[in-house]
This record gives sequence, C-alpha cells and structure tokens, in this order.
Amino acid sequence: MTATAVATEQTRARYPDEEGFVERDGVRVFYEVYGTGERTVLLLPTWSIIHSRQWKGQIPYLARFFRVVTFDGRGNGRSDRPTTPSAYDEAEFAADALAVLDATATERAAIVGYSLGAQRGLVLADEHPERVEGALFIGASYPGGGKALDERARFTWEDELETDEGWAKYNKHFWLRDYPGFVDFFFSRIFGEPHSTKEIEDCVGWALETTAETLVTAQHGRTLEPEEARALAGRLRCPLLVVHGTRDQIAHYTRGEALADHGGGRLFLVEGGGHAPHARDPVAFNRVLHDFLERLP
Amino acid sequence: MIVAVSPREQSRARYPDEEGYVERDGVRVFYEVYGDASTTFLLFPTSPISHSRLWKGQIPYLSRYFRVVVFDPRGNGKSDRPEKAEAYSYWEVMKDGRAVLEATGAETALLGGLCDGGGYALMLAATDPALALGVAAISPSLPRLTPGHPNYRRYPSTEPVDTDEGWAKWNVHYWRRDFRGFLEFFFSQQLPEPHSTKQIEDCVRWGLDGGVQSLVLADEEAPPPFASAEEARDLVARVRCPVLVVHGELDNCQTRERALAVADLTGGTFVALEGAGHMPTARHPVKVNGLLKGFADEVVPPAPKVKTWTRALSRKRRALFVSSPIGLGHARRDVAIAQELRKLHPDLEIDWLAQHPVTMVLEAEGERIHPASAELANESHHIESESAEHDLHAFQAIRRMDEILVANFMLFHDVVRDEPYDLWIGDEAWEVDYFLHENPELKSAAYVWLTDFVGWLPMEDGGERESFLTADYNAEMIEHIARFPRIRDRAIFVGNREDVVSESFGPGLPEIRDWTERHYDFAGYVTGFEPVSDREKLRAELGYGPGEQVCVVTVGGSGVGGDLLRRVIAAFPAASHQVENLRMVVVAGPRIDPASLPAHDGLEIHAYVHDLYRHLAACDLAVVQGGLTTSMELTANGRPFLYFPLRHHFEQSFHVHHRLERYGAGRRMDFETDGPAEIAAAIADEIGRETEYRPVETDGAARAARLIAELL
Repeated sequence: MTATAVATEQTRARYPDEEGFVERDGVRVFYEVYGTGERTVLLLPTWSIIHSRQWKGQIPYLARFFRVVTFDGRGNGRSDRPTTPSAYDEAEFAADALAVLDATATERAAIVGYSLGAQRGLVLADEHPERVEGALFIGASYPGGGKALDERARFTWEDELETDEGWAKYNKHFWLRDYPGFVDFFFSRIFGEPHSTKEIEDCVGWALETTAETLVTAQHGRTLEPEEARALAGRLRCPLLVVHGTRDQIAHYTRGEALADHGGGRLFLVEGGGHAPHARDPVAFNRVLHDFLERLP
Repeated sequence: MIVAVSPREQSRARYPDEEGYVERDGVRVFYEVYGDASTTFLLFPTSPISHSRLWKGQIPYLSRYFRVVVFDPRGNGKSDRPEKAEAYSYWEVMKDGRAVLEATGAETALLGGLCDGGGYALMLAATDPALALGVAAISPSLPRLTPGHPNYRRYPSTEPVDTDEGWAKWNVHYWRRDFRGFLEFFFSQQLPEPHSTKQIEDCVRWGLDGGVQSLVLADEEAPPPFASAEEARDLVARVRCPVLVVHGELDNCQTRERALAVADLTGGTFVALEGAGHMPTARHPVKVNGLLKGFADEVVPPAPKVKTWTRALSRKRRALFVSSPIGLGHARRDVAIAQELRKLHPDLEIDWLAQHPVTMVLEAEGERIHPASAELANESHHIESESAEHDLHAFQAIRRMDEILVANFMLFHDVVRDEPYDLWIGDEAWEVDYFLHENPELKSAAYVWLTDFVGWLPMEDGGERESFLTADYNAEMIEHIARFPRIRDRAIFVGNREDVVSESFGPGLPEIRDWTERHYDFAGYVTGFEPVSDREKLRAELGYGPGEQVCVVTVGGSGVGGDLLRRVIAAFPAASHQVENLRMVVVAGPRIDPASLPAHDGLEIHAYVHDLYRHLAACDLAVVQGGLTTSMELTANGRPFLYFPLRHHFEQSFHVHHRLERYGAGRRMDFETDGPAEIAAAIADEIGRETEYRPVETDGAARAARLIAELL
C-alpha cells in the first residue's frame, strides 16, 4: 500500500493559545500551549518519526479542562534536527521537557507519553519528581520487562540485509534507500486495526517531514537499558496508568504489563487495539485519560 | 390516606454477618455488620423516628465492596429506649457510632448519614479526624447551623394548637393522640415523589417500631448540640476529610441552604437531586448507591486492577438474558427463544443472569450462566416466605420484594457496566425494567422486555387500599413508558391480543387491552416444546400402560404448592375407588421435599422430573395450580386438567383464568370450597375426557426470536 501524504496541514479543531521555542546547546525545540486549566498536562514527544500532531485527538478535548503543553521532539516538526547522535539521548528529550515546563512557567504537570515517550517520561519523573504529578504511558516501549516481538528481533538494524521483506525494513540501509517504503510499512504495523487508513496517512505525512538521515542519527542516541528502566519505574512516586493494546505489533502488551507492575500503577488494556490507541480509539482513550487526570491528587 | 402496615419484616436481600450490642451509660445499642471488605462504611441512623432498616436499599450493594456497619438509634429498633431526654442528644448518638466502630474493630471508616445521621457523621469527623476517611451527608441536618426548615416553624410544636391540618401535626400533643396519623403525614411529606407508597409504608412501620415517646424525647426535649449558629459552623469547618453532600430539591425536612452550608464549610462536593425529596436513599436507591460508591472510590481508591475495554469491532455479539425465577415456566420458554435466536444469529453468545430453579433448566440445557448469578438475592425464597396455605398475595409479594429488586438491579448494572453486551433480554425481570425507567441514563444496550400479563389487578378482599395501590403501580408504569419510549426497544407479549384482559388499569387510566395493543408486539404463546404427535408412543416411553388412567399432580417450581399436593393426595383413596386403574403421579418440584408428603399405596411421588411437559402431554388428567406455563402446556396438548388458582394471586385469578377461558381449557377449582371428596369427584369426571380446546400456536418462540433478532 502506498499512502498519500497531504501537503498542507488540515484544519485543526483547536489552535494553540501560545507557542514558542526553547533552546538548549544550540538546539531549538518548538512548543505549544492550549487552554488555561489549573492542572497542566504535558504531552511528551515519541520517536522523532512523528511530531506533536500525534496528539490531535486529545488536545481539543483536554484543553477544555486542563492547560495542555506539547512540543515537537528534536528531529521533527518545527524543532531543529541536530546532527550529532548524542543530541538524541533519552536524557536530552527529558531535558527538553523540563526546559519547556520552565519556559511555560509550569511548576508541575501530569505527563503523557506514547511508545518511546515512556522512556523520556520515566527519566523526567526520576530526575524531577517534584515536577511530575502523574504519568500515563501508552503503548510503552519499556525495555524493563515483557516480551520482545520475534518477527522484529530477527533482523539487525545496522547490517545490510539480504531481504527487505517485513521487519527487514527496520534497517538503516533500507531507510536510506527507500524511506517512504519503510514509513508505509512501519505505520501499517502501528495500526493493525482494520480501517485505519486516515491514521496511517497522518503518520506517514508527519514522518515525511523529517528524513531518513535524521532518524539514522537519532537511532544512535542513548535509550534505556533494561536494568535502568526497571530502576526508574521502581522509583516512580506519582500515580501511574499504563494503556496498551492487546494486539500491539510494535511493543508487546506484556511490556505495558511489566511497566504497570514495576511502577505500582494500573493497567488499562484495549482488547483488539494496536500500538496507538490514543490515535485509533480517541474517544475511549480520552475518557480514560480525563478520568486519570481528574483523580490525581 | 390509610397505610396498611404489615407486622412482619419482609425478606432482606442480605442478612448481617455479625450483630451485637454496645453499651454506654447503661444504654444498649444494636449494630449489624455486613461483608468483610477492608474498608468500613458506617451508615448512621437518623433520629428515632426510624432505624437501621432505613439503609435497606444500600446495604446489599455497598457490602459487596465495603464492610458496612449500621446501628439502630437509641429509641428505636433493637436498641434501648432511655427515659431521659439528655440521652438522645446528637452527641450521644455520635458517640454510639464511635463505640460501634470500636466494637467492630474499625480504626478508620467512611461515614454516611441521612438527615440527623449526616449531622452525627460530620460531628464525628470533626472531633475524630483520624477516624473519618470521608463523610457522605444526605439531606443533612445540623441544628442551628442555619435556620431550620420553615415547615417546623409553622406551628408551635410543644403547646396545643387548635388544628391538626398539615404541619400542625408536628406537635407533641398530636403525636400522642395519633402517632400513626402523624407518621403518615410526615413521611408523605418526606417522600413527595409520586408513586412512593411502599417507601412511605416502610417508614411508617419503622416509626411505629420506635414509638411516640422516643420521638418526643429526641426531637423536642433533648438538648440541642450547639448553643449557636457560630458554634455549629466552627464544628463543621473542622472537618478535614472529603465530604459529599446530597440534597433533594423537594426536601421538606432540611433546606438546601443548610446542605450548601455543609458543602461550603467543608469544601465538599454538592450534588443536587432535582425532583427528589428528603429520602433519596429510599426513593432513588440506584442513584444514591452510585453516588456513594463513586465518592468512596475517590476517597479510598480500589486496589489496582487491570481494566479492559474491547474495541467495538473486536467485540463478540453477546446478549444477557435475565430470566425471572418466580415459577419454572419462564426458564423453558426463554431457552426456546434463545435457541431460535441462535438460529438467526449463529455467532450470538448468550449469558444468563438467573437463579434457582431457573438455573436447573439452564444447566440441563448447557446454557452459560453468568458467574455473577451466584450473588443474586434469592427471589424464590422470598416468594415462599410470603405464601401461606395455598395462598400467595402476588402483588404484595412483589411490593415486599423491593429490597431484593434494588439489590439485583445493582448486580445487573455492575455486570453490564463491566462487560459490553449488545442486548439485554428481561423475561419479567421487574428490577431491570423498573430501574431502567427510573434511571434512563443507565441504558447502554438494546433492551427487550417480555411478559405474559399486563396490569396489576386488585383482589376483591383487598378493599379500596389495594385498588388504589394497583392503580398507582399501573400509573407509574404507564408514565414510565410514555416518558421513556426508548428504554424498551421491544416489548413482547407472550400470547395474543385476545389473551390480554379487558379490564381497566384503574380510575382515569386506559383500558388494559387497548393500551397493550399499542405498546406491545405479540409473539403468540411460547410453549418451549414441540407438541406431542404420537401420544401412545410417548406413554410407552414413560412407562404408562395402555390400561392405566394417569393423573399427574404438579405445582410448578416454587415451594408454595405443598398444601395443594397434600389435599390432592388426600383425595387419592376416594378417587381410586371411582376411577379404575388410577395411577396418580405427584411431582413435588425442586423446592418441596417429597419425604414431607404423606404416602399411600399406589401413589408415586417424585422430586423433580426433567421434561415434565412430556408427562403432562402423556397423562389422562392433570391437577395443577393456576400458573400459566403448566396450564398452557396442558392446553397445547389437549389434556383435561383441574386448576386451583392460589388465593390472592391476581395473575392466576384474573390473567391466567381469562386466557384459559378463551382456550376453553381446564376446570377451575377453588381451594376454599373443594375438599378431597370434591376433588375425587372432579378427577372421576374429567379423567380421560376428550377435549376441544382452541389450538395453541407452536411458532411463538420463533416469532419472539424474530422480533428480538432485528435489534442485533
């Protein structure tokens, strides 16, 4: 399947009330603020293959109750695309989050992270527990436990492969050779649910706003080791809710189970759901999110 | 208004796991404990105008999640009636609550209270902050906090007044003159919602349990808890735990101003109930239960657990069948409908929320019984407890089942909230139908209502009061349907238009058949079996010889029929003289012990017979109660039969009788006048007689299933 990316951004349901940049070590990161609620929700970036528009199903709803802050992860959207791998360490994304909280005069916020966003969220909550009053992670890419997906583990990212079938596309050389082909493949796995064409198209469009080269650089950034992730989860002090689709083809749902377990949180399973329930089942997810935020101490 | 008050406590939906007394200054106070959850929920009593049964709509539900503790106030229930007014001060009752918590080993507790109970709860939370996890104050009373309700200031309460009209009845002289009249007036004010007859009757009963002296001491002579408004406000402001305040717009006892003051001073949440009176616990139990549970869950979040939401298109097609256990008859017809429904939707999964004896039939048929069924409060047992010698006042028995109906609706609601069903089917599932209409926001699936009669009808000896009550129940049902036509997606009458009685719902109300024709679909009768084509073969299979004259005696699935069985057994010797080769087969049913029945030579007694309908199809005569299912099975098979409607059973006396007349079936007997001799003679007359009944359709289950299937 070839998805068609639309050139101009479609009409939003809600536009930011405030936007701006933070700059750290010469890297500029773009943020947006919506609404004026007492409690702030920080919607974290995930892997830089997409940007903050991933939260489009949540922002207009949440902003009616809360102050919503989100930002484009370095490497995509209106943020810079640094060219040194270490600029993409998880710790850098967490530091960006902190800088955005400071720049928006946000003392404390509930954080919401999707996929890789769970890692930077755990780092932020560990380094600045006083700033984080709750954490909700969706489709968590949590290395601290749970099952790896066999079909993914078969191929290396670094080496030239003889095939580019299936998960062999998750490969540096294939990315550089046929980035759109990878993107199509990848998002069709993110959204395993039937009838997900629009969600896939959206993501493909956002993915094409960055480049294979940028993602290759980012791939060398430092992510969490299993031990480290477990330790961060174990030290988490705020309320935690983990949302995971039982048919997630990117991160097996047992990863979410493990995170909820290690972090002393609750687990909300979306039966039949893929990797991104917030995009594919926005109404059900929004209700869960709202309920979680409303009950935070 | 004259309220008939029944002296005997009706069946509870849940009985206490523990009970006991605490004693303070020589006053003994009775308490009950329900459930063993880790969090204790203490529900305070109100003034001695009532006692702990006040919480009957809450206890069965809340005790599934909390350890519920209730106690009778000094001056009512099983607690002592001290003679000094000082013993009735708010502070004393509050201390009783603390003593009960201590006695039951609770170090912390959620506190709930209605009216004065709300005041006691707030006072305990203010003075013992380490103990109180949260306070739910419903229609709270706290003297002096704000000016009292104007109703109490219309007339002097301790000096004689020259009228008994209206609130002049709030007067100790009137109380002593006509306490019951006072209670009837007072609670009709506190339950101003139309159709509150049962709640008012309950409250009058509980008021009488306490007696006038308790009320005089507590409400008029006891010292007020606070010297001034300021003192009251200071106390309430000391409450540190979360607070929920619930107040009904039509409260004639406590003002909204007072309820708002409590919410304001404590930073609590205020929930206004529009159109509701002082006692939403009794009149809107489903709503109040939801509020209490929601509040408690916020204060004491339940232990982490995995929740699952299934994507819409990943869901299996599922139906929940709620089958009434009152009589075995519904089970067989419901199974037949379910089987036909599966033919139309082979992928449909059907779960059953049902209890004994329906579950016996379901198990035999391999149907899936929802595990929550085990938690249903027992309706069959209640019906038995309401019956006397061949006597069941069916209408009052249903009214006196109100606590069980609330409890079982709450269970149903929990089940369908946690598991998505596409369709709910209720066969005379009164709790589901009634409370969905009372709480229309809870309807989240297609819903089908099945019944085989429409209209509560008064028995002749029930007098004006019963005519008033049945009309009131009918009126509420008619208003429910008119206001919320979206609740019943299908209303299916198990029968034909002409089977509906030509009677009135009551004064000023529609004619029953007209109304039913406009609001129901008609499936025809559902027998739940294929009619017997070769009766001789069947007789051979069942071991009935060609020369034998077989008389089957059965009283259905409930335990009410023991007296009829005994009477027919007593007719056996005379009958066997008159009928050659008489073989009498008595089926006691699943709830009557066969060993409890007298034995005779040549008489067979069985406990339960699976496929009883085959025996009824094979017999030469049957003797039965006036229940619909059995008599219609006999009609469908053209068998002669004698039927004895239960005394005071309006459905058997009017609805079933009407239908049997239409089919020209059966010979009506009278338990009052027909003794063993008359029964023996009737057996001799009727046995083996050729019948010319109106034929009974055989496609009723398929027709019902087609009507239901359109919703899936």
